[in-house]
Amino acid sequence: MRKAFSNLSALLLLVSTILAGCSSNQTSSDAERKEEATKNVKQEITLNALSEPPSLDPALATDTTSGWVIDHLFEGLYTKNKKGEPVLGAASDVKVSDDGKTYTFTIREDAKWSDGDPVTAQDFEYAWKRVLNPETGSAFAFYMYYIKGAEEYNKGKASVDEVGVKALDDKTLQVQLDAPLSYFDKLLTMWTFYPVKKSLVESNKKWAAEAEGYVSNGAYKLTSWKHNSEVVVEKNEHYWNKDEINMEKVTWKMVNDATTYYQMYKTGELDLIQTLPTDVIAQEKDSEEFKIVPYFGTYMFMFNVEKEPFNNPKIRRAFAMAINRKAIVNNITKSGETPAYAFVPYGVNTPDGDFRKVGGTYFKENAKEAKKLLQEGMKEEGWNKLPEVTLMYNTAENNKKVAEAVQEMIKNTLGVKIKLANQEWKTYLETTAQSNFQMARMGWIGIFVDPTVILDYYLGDSPNNRTKWVNGKFDNLMAQAKVEQDETKRFQLLHEAEKVLMADMPFMPVYFYSQNYLTSKKFKGIVYPINRYPDVRWAKKIAD
Amino acid sequence: MYIVKRVLTMFLTIWIIATLTFIIMKFIPGDPFVSDADVLPEEVLQNIRAKYNLDKPLPVQYALYMKNLLMFDLGPSIQSETRDVNTLIADGFPVSALLGLQSLIIALVFGLLLGIVAALNHNRFLDYAAMFLAIIGISVPSFILAPLLIKYFAVEWKLLPVASWGTWAHSVLPSVALATTPMAVIARFIRSSMLEVMKQNYIKTAEAKGLSPIAIVVKHGIRNAILPVITFIGPLFVVLITGTFVIEKIFAIPGLGKYFVDSIFNRDYPVILGTTVFLVLFL
Repeated sequence: MRKAFSNLSALLLLVSTILAGCSSNQTSSDAERKEEATKNVKQEITLNALSEPPSLDPALATDTTSGWVIDHLFEGLYTKNKKGEPVLGAASDVKVSDDGKTYTFTIREDAKWSDGDPVTAQDFEYAWKRVLNPETGSAFAFYMYYIKGAEEYNKGKASVDEVGVKALDDKTLQVQLDAPLSYFDKLLTMWTFYPVKKSLVESNKKWAAEAEGYVSNGAYKLTSWKHNSEVVVEKNEHYWNKDEINMEKVTWKMVNDATTYYQMYKTGELDLIQTLPTDVIAQEKDSEEFKIVPYFGTYMFMFNVEKEPFNNPKIRRAFAMAINRKAIVNNITKSGETPAYAFVPYGVNTPDGDFRKVGGTYFKENAKEAKKLLQEGMKEEGWNKLPEVTLMYNTAENNKKVAEAVQEMIKNTLGVKIKLANQEWKTYLETTAQSNFQMARMGWIGIFVDPTVILDYYLGDSPNNRTKWVNGKFDNLMAQAKVEQDETKRFQLLHEAEKVLMADMPFMPVYFYSQNYLTSKKFKGIVYPINRYPDVRWAKKIAD
Repeated sequence: MYIVKRVLTMFLTIWIIATLTFIIMKFIPGDPFVSDADVLPEEVLQNIRAKYNLDKPLPVQYALYMKNLLMFDLGPSIQSETRDVNTLIADGFPVSALLGLQSLIIALVFGLLLGIVAALNHNRFLDYAAMFLAIIGISVPSFILAPLLIKYFAVEWKLLPVASWGTWAHSVLPSVALATTPMAVIARFIRSSMLEVMKQNYIKTAEAKGLSPIAIVVKHGIRNAILPVITFIGPLFVVLITGTFVIEKIFAIPGLGKYFVDSIFNRDYPVILGTTVFLVLFL
């Protein structure tokens, strides 16, 4: 009980800033006075993590909630700038060998841990090998398989010494890859590649379980972690780039109930909330504080290409063409999603522009055409009547509404009655993993912003590919794209791969996700990445 | 001898329940490590399973678990990767217990008050008013009452914080929301047993002795009428202090209640077993 009330002072502080917020009403247009007033505003922000972050250990975290906090606490060799592009972080320089396989990083002279000790190349070497160590049981270890010897070590087939990560001296880290990897810089911004302090982690296995003794190297340090209640981080005075960091203190509350966090936002107990319920969106959609950001993910229905009737590509395409995606995003999901006629969502910058805009759409909704295709497909298979179809989804209100709409649309355009079935999430994952479905709902979100992470989903040997669709040409193009060093050529290969995928359609895309936010007008400079929660490192509180 | 027998029965009960939970739990399809849509390569999964001893055959898993249970080690949590079940319970239980105790006190005080007032004013306005309140208390579920409390006390009148945990003020609304149903039940219990008691001969004797009405109600009435309520308080107490999923979710309280539900959805085997055993220990 004492524990729960020990941080009373911290809370009072928070409450007092909120109370203060009610009294002042700054509307001055005089820029100078505004600047002056801003100086006295306590630079603190309260966010909502929704739930307890499962792990604040970069090696073990696999979810965006943990990643949200960890991204503020740590910094990798590369970090993301305000535009979301990878820029050098803890490293000050990088040299890539001519064959693109060997990277030599120089760790910044002034890179320091939050306890003041220097960040060394050995810390990175230790951290990465720790991720790969089978005993660590890191779920994201496979993101490191591009490194020489990494996969073999993680699968217990080689020793740790064969892993191509080596600290040449305190400040020089050499990384050897199996093959050149065009998006290695993007990959390095992922938390799995963050360093951990070797001496600390070696001596204390539970170093990441509590705030006490927790050491990080990024913009913030962990000062308090009340489990299932709140995480507080404060500016790290040892961070090399601390002058760029404006927000002094960030608090994540863990409020899971949508009505509750909306009300906490309304009373000022939270400064920024995400994932608003549909009724709130309807209420707030014209507010200045409301914001919709595209999210780098695709909502889709997978087809099992070995089960009738979806063994026939024409029938798959007919289904894809038969539904009205605009109606789904405008009338059902209603939070700013975009209809999807391809797999890779918007948001990837390429030399020729946005990847999706360059690639365009791969099919059109057309009832007549769809019906024709269905007839052709049935003729090819010699069916007079289409085998019965069951559409599966995991139990959730939104999925149910979308599935029911699709059922209705298919009935109207194709004259086919399909059945619906739903299962609880974990059971559903097991059922679909065994390809025990005909047509099943799935969502896929890119952990970093590159078409590769999206398209990899349907590789022949991808554990994610539940459709049994295997296409040598597609796999081949993807493999070529991964080693292609020339950006323009690489994106061309990826476009070709997507074309192959969309010609066969082992799935039908429905929409590209979006994320919605309410942000207090007191804050400026918050960055809303398209595949992560907001980054508040550069945020500024401009009014109390 | 009696105590020894009781303790032995307790251990036997715990063992049986832990075993049954273990068996049922393993029957639920699904894998704790397949959390998102992202499916991990088989070898990676192998490594993680090995970490939690889930790669071993079931009887070995069972034996290992029972061995650790004997040493009061409930094992690591799968969902909260860096923490173990013992600390989850140690962190969550004081919060739930405080909340439970507060609501028990509220429920008892107001329940008794309402019940007695109703009984003493049998079939009069106050009786109907009190029982009307009690009916509302029983029939309005806490997930409706809680948002209403938040709307008025926190959002409109700004008297108390909306949710979260930290100061005593944070615990007021959830305690009230949690107390309403038991309060109403207690009120109705007390009313009926009070009515029963007040018809007894010894009350008439007390009246004949010339005792003041207050003395009669307090000394003879309540003391006898409270008995059925006391038998009901035991299990109620356990239910209240081990946490409630709904109230904890609405008010963002770091209590124990969420684990009973979340652990099953997450297939977090050690937490499922740990919380069940912990609850049994109390009952």
